[in-house]
Amino acid sequence: MAPANRVTVAGRLIELDALRYTPAGIPMLKFRLQHDSVQTEAGGERKVSFEMAAVAFEREAKLLAAAKLGSRVKVNGFLAARSRSSRTPLLHATQIEFAEGD
Amino acid sequence: MTILRVALDVPLPTLFDYRAEAATRADIGCRVLVPFGKKRLVGVIWDVATKSEVADSRLRSVEKILREVAPLPPEWLALAEFCSGYYHGPLGEVVAAALPPRLRTAKTVPLAPRDYVLTPIGREALAATPSRHRRLRALLEQLARGRASDSELDAQRTGSRNLLRHGIEKGWIVSMEPERSEPRFVHAHELTSEQEQAIGALRSELEKFRVSLLFGVTGSGKTEIYLQLIAEVLARGKQVLILVPEIALTPALEGAFRDRFPGACIVTQTSAMAELERVRGWLLAHGGRADIVLGTRLAVFTPLPRLGLVVVDEEQDASFKQREGVRYSARDLAIARARIVGASVVLCSATPSLESFHRATSGKYELVALTRRAIDRAALPAIRLIDTRVHPSQEGIVPPLLEALAARLARGEQSLVFLNRRGYAPTLACPACGWVKGCRRCSANMVVHLAARRLRCHHCGLAEGIPRACPECGNPDLQVFGRGTQRIELLLGEKFPQARILRVDSDAVRARNGLEDLLERAAHADILVGTQILAKGHHFERLTLAGVLNADSGLFSSDYRAGERTFAQLQQVAGRAGRANLPGEVLIQTRYPEHPLYQSLVRHDYAGFAKSVLAERREAGFPPFVFEAALRAESRDESRARRFLRAAIGRAPQRGGAITVFDPAPMSLARLAGVERAQVLLQSRSRPRLQAFLREWSDSLYRTPAHGVRWHLDVDPIEF
Repeated sequence: MAPANRVTVAGRLIELDALRYTPAGIPMLKFRLQHDSVQTEAGGERKVSFEMAAVAFEREAKLLAAAKLGSRVKVNGFLAARSRSSRTPLLHATQIEFAEGD
Repeated sequence: MTILRVALDVPLPTLFDYRAEAATRADIGCRVLVPFGKKRLVGVIWDVATKSEVADSRLRSVEKILREVAPLPPEWLALAEFCSGYYHGPLGEVVAAALPPRLRTAKTVPLAPRDYVLTPIGREALAATPSRHRRLRALLEQLARGRASDSELDAQRTGSRNLLRHGIEKGWIVSMEPERSEPRFVHAHELTSEQEQAIGALRSELEKFRVSLLFGVTGSGKTEIYLQLIAEVLARGKQVLILVPEIALTPALEGAFRDRFPGACIVTQTSAMAELERVRGWLLAHGGRADIVLGTRLAVFTPLPRLGLVVVDEEQDASFKQREGVRYSARDLAIARARIVGASVVLCSATPSLESFHRATSGKYELVALTRRAIDRAALPAIRLIDTRVHPSQEGIVPPLLEALAARLARGEQSLVFLNRRGYAPTLACPACGWVKGCRRCSANMVVHLAARRLRCHHCGLAEGIPRACPECGNPDLQVFGRGTQRIELLLGEKFPQARILRVDSDAVRARNGLEDLLERAAHADILVGTQILAKGHHFERLTLAGVLNADSGLFSSDYRAGERTFAQLQQVAGRAGRANLPGEVLIQTRYPEHPLYQSLVRHDYAGFAKSVLAERREAGFPPFVFEAALRAESRDESRARRFLRAAIGRAPQRGGAITVFDPAPMSLARLAGVERAQVLLQSRSRPRLQAFLREWSDSLYRTPAHGVRWHLDVDPIEF
């Protein structure tokens, strides 16, 4: 079995780059999420908050391009290094659900 | 029995014997059709003998001596022999490279040009010709306006041979020998005292073999000087040969020559010409009718019975060196040719090759220098170096250049952004895993052409689609690195949305209707983005700014000639700025503003640059202080090429220290179109010794088993 790499995270869109295209013409879009929630840790509840950079391609990229800043989304995806030189992870959104009412 | 010794286009260093009846020594230099294996080939009769070393039973007979073209003169044969001997290529291959394609076949050659005149019956016939016979009417109408030559009829597209023949048979048209007009010279410019002096120096001893280097800054009026010289030579009843580097420049130049030499018979010779047009011009030259032959490197072989002067313009240009077959240098052959017939040679350049510069400054050639621009008001352009460490560029163009472009736009003047790299970006790579898109047939990266969404190899021409994702790791976010003309064109479009921007590179030439059309548009553009195509010889009246991107790539090449080429190119680009009454400015963006090349360039001091590089070359033992040759081997299998070269070194004659033979090494572009290329470099301080060595060696090379290896010798190589 392949090593697990699935991430599901929900949050608000706080940055949306312009839609651009790879050299082969695939639409792509970089964005940032603001996440706020309550999680359980060391036997107690705690508030959690972070920002996360993410990237989406094709259909997801086009959906995001039409979205408004501040929209609530739930992102499914995987993590990959930003580049060969920067090994910090970047969220690759393979499935995006927009929360109702936004 | 008569034996003809024939030069045939066969890769063997020998003449081929054939039996002939009714041939005499007068046929030496004639073309001849002979059987060769199962084929029939056209060769040139080199000698006529009475016996052959080939056994009688194996001797074949010639099919036909093609006497409709007069024999090539002895001095032409001598030039071909020199070329074959010096560059160590088979005589037959030299002859094949030297003759127009049509003459390498047994097809009929066009008749000498005639003039055509409409007869009174022809006039009646014209009146009676119904308009539905459109082409016949067009021909008769043109002749009704006056006498016309073959080329005039061709130019109007009315010169159908069938219609002409028909008209002549009917008695409507008569053909006659063209009138020979005397070439005249139109004086167009007042000469400066410097130009007068230069002409004076060049005019003395014009009738003898002599090589002069006309070394003058851009705009100093070199062309005017050699035009005057040509007028002088024509007035003495001699012919002139002018060699120019670019096919693209010849139509414009031909026009200029026609304006200045009305009445002269001017012939062009380039590889881009139609077969019949080329051979027609060649025959005019061969018959002694042409006064001026203008052409690219292959024109050096045009037979000229009255040759008095050879001009080599931009003599440093690499295009004078043939890159396949017999690798001759047309500049050097021009000198050899002038020596054979006792004519003068004038080499012209603002940035002469270091070989020529060294010979001129050491007294082998006469040096004629022009230091000032011919138009008083036109000062040399100010060249400024923009340090990219101080002014970092964000998208490839430094802010001071953007400001300068904006200022030109505001004043309605024209700018040129020079970048010698076409396409969108030179590299497609994967930032996730480091994969780079290489050509599968060459040791080179493929270039991104974004408009067409294609990848192209600029070495072998291979084209393919851009992959959707990295083939190594699957990442779709592939990135382009570096900048080509397309990318700069788009960037400038974003920065200056109101500007008319035109890209001029060989892709644009292909996309439009050729260079001439593109240059016409270029005159109306605000910003030109161009490669070397734009650097040479085109004048734009309103152009006052030239910006140069990526010039540094020429500073650190492994090719020791890269520096002089970079200097020549930058000076040519600089020469585009401020030619008319507007002062010019040149901005070069560089990381190395303190580099001696740039420092000399800013001072417009090619001589100083040349002297310092020559000192380095003397120290390091490079040309012109040593003479070089290369033995190259090409094979699909790299190890075979290497094995051949090692075997060749094993067979090398004794050299007693006079010749240095380097180990086999891959060429800098090791694989080209699927062929692996390796070479052995030779150096010697003595040209005669190197030549003697090569003569002996090349004989043994023909006997070295090649096993799927193609090899050739390159004397005075310019690419490694």
